[in-house]
Amino acid sequence: MNTREYIESGNLEAYALGALSALEAKQVEADIAMYPELAEEMAQIETTLQMFAARLATAPPAGTEEKIWSVLQYVPANEGGNNAAPKVIPFQPEYRKTNQWKYAAVWTGLVGSLLLNGFLWMSKENTKADMATLSGKVFVLEHQQNDLAGILKDYQKNKAMMADTGMQTIVMHTMQPGHPMAATLYWSKNKGEAYISVDGLPTPPKGMQYQLWVMENGKPVDMGVLPNDMANTPAMQKVSKSVTDGQAFAISLEKEGGSPMPTMQNIYVMGKV
Amino acid sequence: MSTTATIYSEEELILLLKQQSREGFNYLYRQYGAVLYGIINKVVYDEQTAQDVLQDVFVKIWNNIEQYNPQKGRLYTWMINIARNASIDKLRSKGEIMKGKIRTGDDVVNNLHEGMKTEQATDTIGLRKMVAGLKPEYEAIITLAYFKGFTLDEISKALEMPLGTVKTRMRAAIHQLREIFNN
Repeated sequence: MNTREYIESGNLEAYALGALSALEAKQVEADIAMYPELAEEMAQIETTLQMFAARLATAPPAGTEEKIWSVLQYVPANEGGNNAAPKVIPFQPEYRKTNQWKYAAVWTGLVGSLLLNGFLWMSKENTKADMATLSGKVFVLEHQQNDLAGILKDYQKNKAMMADTGMQTIVMHTMQPGHPMAATLYWSKNKGEAYISVDGLPTPPKGMQYQLWVMENGKPVDMGVLPNDMANTPAMQKVSKSVTDGQAFAISLEKEGGSPMPTMQNIYVMGKV
Repeated sequence: MSTTATIYSEEELILLLKQQSREGFNYLYRQYGAVLYGIINKVVYDEQTAQDVLQDVFVKIWNNIEQYNPQKGRLYTWMINIARNASIDKLRSKGEIMKGKIRTGDDVVNNLHEGMKTEQATDTIGLRKMVAGLKPEYEAIITLAYFKGFTLDEISKALEMPLGTVKTRMRAAIHQLREIFNN
C-alpha cells in the first residue's frame, strides 16, 4: 500500500470526523493497525480534534456533577453493550421518583437474574443430556471396538491355522435322526493341536454341557467340555488337550462339567478322520 | 476543602472507572464534563436537551468502559465520539435535521441551506469565533460531518461535489485547524 497516497486521500480525516460507514470505518481501523505511518497520522488528527473539542468546552450548570453522580447510583450496571441506549432519566429527579427507580432497578435485577438462572439451568440440563448421550455413544463404540478386536484376533488365528498345511478338517454330522446338527474340527495331527467350532449345535439346556471326545482304537477319550456360549455361534476354540492320535471325533451332551465316559444316546455329532 | 490536584493518565482513569469509584467519576467529570458539554451544545441547541444528553453520555461512559478498546483510539476520542453520537441521535429523534436526510438530493441541499442559516443565527460565538481564519467551506464540511452526522455520501450530494473532493477537503480542514491551534 502507498501510505502517502492513503494519507493524502483524506480517508483518515473522514474516519475521524465520523463520516464513514461502519464497514469503511472497520477497514480504516484495520489499515491503521497494520501501517504505523497511518497510526502516526491518525494520532495527529486525534490531537487536533482534541484541541478543537477543548476550545468548544462549556461549563455545565452548577450542581450537574452531583445530579449525574446520583443518577449513576441507580443505573443498573452494564445494562447491555455499546449499542444499548442508556435509559433517559429525568434530569431533576424528585425524591419519590428516585425511590421508584430503586424499586425498578431491584425488580429489573431480580427478574433478570431469575430469567438468567432459568436460562443457565436449562443450558446446564441440555449440556448434561448431551454428555449422557455422548458417553452412551462412547460406551457403545468401545464395546464395538472390543468386539471387532476379538473378531480380528479370531480371524488372524483362523488364518494362521488354515495356513497350516498339515491341518485336517473333520466335519461331524448329526447322530440324532430328524435333528440336523453339525460341528467342525480342525486337527493338526503332527502338532497335536485341534480347533473346534460348534455353530451347528443348539445351545445346551440348563445344567448340561457339550463334551468333545476322540475315538482312539474304538475307545472314547475325553477332550474336555466346551463353553456353552460357543454353541450356535461361529466362534472357534483351541481344544485344551493335545490330540496326537484318533480315528474319529464326537460331541455328546453331558451334565455340566462333563462325564468320564460319553452317554451313548446323547452323542449329537460324530465325524471320521 | 481543597480539590485534589492529582492528574491521572488515561490508563489510570480507565482503571478507576472500571472500579466505579466516586473518585473516578469526579475526575472524569472535572476533566471532561465541560468538553463533552461543549460538543453536545454544538449539536443540539436547546440547553435542557443538552443537559439530558450530557447525563446520557456519562451513563454510557460509566456502563461501557469495559468496551473501550485502546487500540481503536484514545479514551478522549472515544468519549468525544460518544457525546457526538448521543447528541446526533437525539437530534435525529427530534427530527430536527433528519427531515432533510430524505434521500433526494434537492431536499438535502434545501434543508442544508436552511440548517446553515439557523446555525448562523444561533451559533454566534461557537465555531466561527473559535476557529477564526478557518475557510467557510472547511467549516461547513466539519459541521456537517462532525456535528450533524452526515456521511461522506450525503455531504457529497449536499455540496454537489465528488466524494474524493469531500475527503481531501476534510484533510485540508483538519490541516488548517492544526495550523491555527499551533500558532
